[in-house]
Amino acid sequence: MENAYLGIDVGSISTKGAIIDDNNQIISSSYIWTQGDPIGAVKQLLHLLEEGFDKERYKIVATGSTGSARKLVGTIIGATMVKNEITAHAVGTTTFYPDVRTILEIGGQDSKIILVENGVAVDYAMNTLCAAGTGAFLSSQAKRLGIEVEEIGEYALRSKHPTQIAARCTVFAESDLVHKIQMGHPREDIIAGVCNAVVANYLNNVGKGKKIISPVVFQGGVSKNQGVVAAFERTLDCKVIVDENGHLMGALGAAILAKRSTKRQEFDFAVEDMEFYTREANCGRCSNNCEIICVYHRDGKMIDSWGNRCDRGAQSVG
Amino acid sequence: MEVNRNVTLTRYAEYNCAFRYIVEQGIEARYIMPPALTKRTEEIGSKYSPDFVCTPFKTTLGSEIEALEAGADTILMTYGVCRLGYYGELQEQILRDLGYTFEFINLEEYNTGRIRDLLTTIRRLNPKINVAKLTRSALDAVKMVEYLDEVTAEYYKGCGFDASGEYKKAYKRFLTAMYTATSREEITAGYRRVKEDFQRIPLDKPMRPLRVGIVGEFYTAMDAFSNLETEQKLADMGVEVHRWMNITNQFLHNKGIKNLAVKIRDLCTYHMGPTSTANIWAAKEYAERGFDGLIHIKSANCTPEIDIMPVLQNIGADYKIPVLFLTFDSQTSDVGLMTRLEAFYDMIQMRKKVV
Repeated sequence: MENAYLGIDVGSISTKGAIIDDNNQIISSSYIWTQGDPIGAVKQLLHLLEEGFDKERYKIVATGSTGSARKLVGTIIGATMVKNEITAHAVGTTTFYPDVRTILEIGGQDSKIILVENGVAVDYAMNTLCAAGTGAFLSSQAKRLGIEVEEIGEYALRSKHPTQIAARCTVFAESDLVHKIQMGHPREDIIAGVCNAVVANYLNNVGKGKKIISPVVFQGGVSKNQGVVAAFERTLDCKVIVDENGHLMGALGAAILAKRSTKRQEFDFAVEDMEFYTREANCGRCSNNCEIICVYHRDGKMIDSWGNRCDRGAQSVG
Repeated sequence: MEVNRNVTLTRYAEYNCAFRYIVEQGIEARYIMPPALTKRTEEIGSKYSPDFVCTPFKTTLGSEIEALEAGADTILMTYGVCRLGYYGELQEQILRDLGYTFEFINLEEYNTGRIRDLLTTIRRLNPKINVAKLTRSALDAVKMVEYLDEVTAEYYKGCGFDASGEYKKAYKRFLTAMYTATSREEITAGYRRVKEDFQRIPLDKPMRPLRVGIVGEFYTAMDAFSNLETEQKLADMGVEVHRWMNITNQFLHNKGIKNLAVKIRDLCTYHMGPTSTANIWAAKEYAERGFDGLIHIKSANCTPEIDIMPVLQNIGADYKIPVLFLTFDSQTSDVGLMTRLEAFYDMIQMRKKVV
């Protein structure tokens, strides 16, 4: 029986999972939409992962979770490693591209840049107060233009004269976009303009003051968009590597981190048939009024809780 | 003791113990301690503040409202060299519009550099003031601030390496002693006790621990509530947290920043604002001492601190030290901060192993 490691990355928009073996080769992987239900998405994801997984040959000895719902999901699947998505992405990418210097990442709601030297991250930045220029912006604009978000890339590549779109802020970009549509600009040019705006926005905000050195790896859901890749290559004037598993990099990183740690706990797919529910409670013991999230099994047993700032709001588990 | 006034001064880190001491022992008026800052303070502060003002304005306004609710009738407001200089006037106007009755003493108006003008202000609080007693208790309060800054700095350097929780308890006990002190003897006793405790409690500190230097805006970087306890969170991960900036270093002793302009000549030419120039020096100092990372803390819309960000980026590039920029406003979430701090910790830790 060979060892395998499971990594799950639950983001705001999509949920990613991968199972790897001892040589970091992917045994099974899947990518689905979160649709505002991280618990349901994870169960569905595990179902899909199980289909491609050879239970006779491998057993999963460690599990890692990452992404914005890492804590919730880590509790439910009993993860041995719960890691933030920045570290997971850095570790995943440097494992597959040891000589990478810059990692660009644009996801559904967040974007980050990680600078790497000698195989370790040395600096990073992440968007703070604003989600402008991320996947969510692209998909809402695609909807406005009446095309699927997956088609944006093809349209953008067909354009000869990309339209200038204000890149500073999503709200301005959107009103500018509407204006350009009404002025009669062709759809391809507008879409190419949107892709350029995403890149300009990213480099001006997240990438501000950071030295981008090649080799550059671009990942996250938006890296599947050919138009944005082309815009990055044009702006940075260097080749931008997009891995075919770039969208899974967070999940792969989580699996690799779980493998590296010494903690072991065999994973059982039976968890996908279990029922979990969460409840929100307001502490009320002082005027901070912390919102405490409690996670329960179907049988009413609480397995974990978080959200309290101090011990007064601590809930007893069990 | 003649008590005819209920004086308050907004919550500011843990310095309120010294404000109380000087008001009660020196001016002989009653001090109304504003309640500890909570989400509610921030919410009522934001509700009555202009949207684009910096977060400390909102927090202090909220704190003043809570103090008025607690029975204060006289509000003191400090002066400063950034927009803070205008805050007193604006806050007074907002509070008056809300219909509160109080006397507002804006120290900005008395900031003339003449001791006589300062005495005029204090006589407004208590006309029969005993100047000798005031001077004595002012010196005690200064000593208290010095002790507080010294102990706080020591605490954040050590507390991450004590699993028993004794270190934290000792620090809390010290704070309680400062908040309740009524004489110089009590201040000294509290200080001696915590120093002994810190000596006694064994720390599991490696030979070369991860060291992170904090620089940033005067209010947000120092006030644990405003920066969502960034220092405590970092320390709990097992980091030695250093912060040069506090009242002692900045105003009382100017430790290290004499000849400031010369020391950072290669980084900036002109004075850049209230704490910015000193922050540049502190960041450079940390980098030269081989720290593992720098964290820059500011509130949203703080202009002087936005100005120094490019300089900090240069320091990061020159000395190869990672810099994390954190912006806090009333909307900042704890989870987002934790993600960034964890990633920062992982990064400096992995980096240290390689380097």
